[in-house]
Amino acid sequence: MIKKTLKLGQFKIQQMAFMLIAVVIFFALVGIFVLGYGLSGLKQTANLLEEQNAMLLVSKLANSPEFSCGEAFGVTRINCIDFDKVMMLKQDIKKYNDFWGVSNIEIRKTVGGEQETLCNLANYPNCNTLKLLEQASQGYDYSNFVSLCWKEKSTAEIIYDKCAVAKLIVRYKEKI
Amino acid sequence: MKSYNKNKKAIEFSFTWLFAVIIGTAILVLAIYAATKILSTGGAETSAAAAKEIGVLLNPLETGFEAGVSTSLSLPTDTRIYNGCDNFSGFGKQQIQVAQKSFGRFSEPSVNVSFPNKYIFSNETEEGKKFLIFSKPFEFPFKVANLIYLTSSNEKYCFIDAPENIKSELSQLKQENLLVANCSTSPEFIMVCFDTGTSCDIEVRYNSGYLKKNGDRLRFATDALMYAAIFSGGGIYECQASRLMQRAEELSSIYIKKANLLQQKDCNSNLDLLSLLNSFRSYEDSSDLRLLSDKAEEIEVGNRVSSCRLW
Repeated sequence: MIKKTLKLGQFKIQQMAFMLIAVVIFFALVGIFVLGYGLSGLKQTANLLEEQNAMLLVSKLANSPEFSCGEAFGVTRINCIDFDKVMMLKQDIKKYNDFWGVSNIEIRKTVGGEQETLCNLANYPNCNTLKLLEQASQGYDYSNFVSLCWKEKSTAEIIYDKCAVAKLIVRYKEKI
Repeated sequence: MKSYNKNKKAIEFSFTWLFAVIIGTAILVLAIYAATKILSTGGAETSAAAAKEIGVLLNPLETGFEAGVSTSLSLPTDTRIYNGCDNFSGFGKQQIQVAQKSFGRFSEPSVNVSFPNKYIFSNETEEGKKFLIFSKPFEFPFKVANLIYLTSSNEKYCFIDAPENIKSELSQLKQENLLVANCSTSPEFIMVCFDTGTSCDIEVRYNSGYLKKNGDRLRFATDALMYAAIFSGGGIYECQASRLMQRAEELSSIYIKKANLLQQKDCNSNLDLLSLLNSFRSYEDSSDLRLLSDKAEEIEVGNRVSSCRLW
């Protein structure tokens, strides 16, 4: 009689233990699902904010001190990039890697039909693309038209200001 | 025999229930703990997103060379903005933390969101639903950055006997919490006195280039840094000023290289930028601004009359 009762008790405890394991697994699965959903929303928010940052930055980046013409070409110019200055900035660009919160910054002269010639100290200013920040990353580009000005020396040895229309392109790093 | 059997049944029944109650309680406690954690993580996420959003929304305040621009930032609930500054490594970082009020109490401050290219001057903590912001370029002697001044709409400043240029600039801003007239009798204002009063909250010695606030003596150069010292706590001011000098040092180095590049085209600027760079490099605190200011002014004059202007 005692043996039989113990067996029945053991069986009930075992049954309950299985039930409890099932309940725990169920809640764990629900938890994982909720966490996954929450994290995907978080990633989306982060990407949206990065996108917003790139969009707002591109419209004002040309006026930041490292890029702007200031009064170097006579009068104050807005949305004007000093080509001489950014060429020198390119030499020290490592210090600015995380400064603007974007992964790529590029300035491209909008001259139709020309092949892309990357700017370096040897071919400057006879080039059309300056890649300032270059990080291998996935993301979207945002661009803005700016004027690109530099000092040029004529054949008659006269220094004059030369400007061209250019596109300032920034890319933000998408969180995958 | 009968009573023995009864007792046995009672023991068996109570043990099963005891087991279920203990494990059930454990599960319930775990579930409540997890739910609380998820809720607090959600709150932290919202606050962090708000902090990042505030930083991103400040981008349009980066102006060209025009005068200050004022704007407001309204939030749906009472919010605390914690202004942090880190001046170590590179250009340092502007840090923002946000805590929002829910169920009558403020949540824990969010994680630090950092912006290396921003300079916000405010008290360590600003509280309110509406924040008023204006910005001004800091030129020393070339443009170094746009400084952002953030105040809560609950704080009202009264500028007494301000010089004409400051008065006209503040009037043009039309920022509701910055007044230059008809405010001297009201006790709710933070009094900012220029070269006159002694019983004011902030005493500005405009021509001597320093001000006294909460017992601290903060030195400034240019109007942009004067506003910075007025609107921010001493710690924030010193830290941000040091970050500005780090950026000015790097900009000096870029201008030196630009001057060398232009020299190859026979376009000489003849500015002693190297000594300016060294002064920026040896900057320790705002007491160094006086000497730096003289040097910057001298170089600015040189650039203005130069046939080959660098900025």
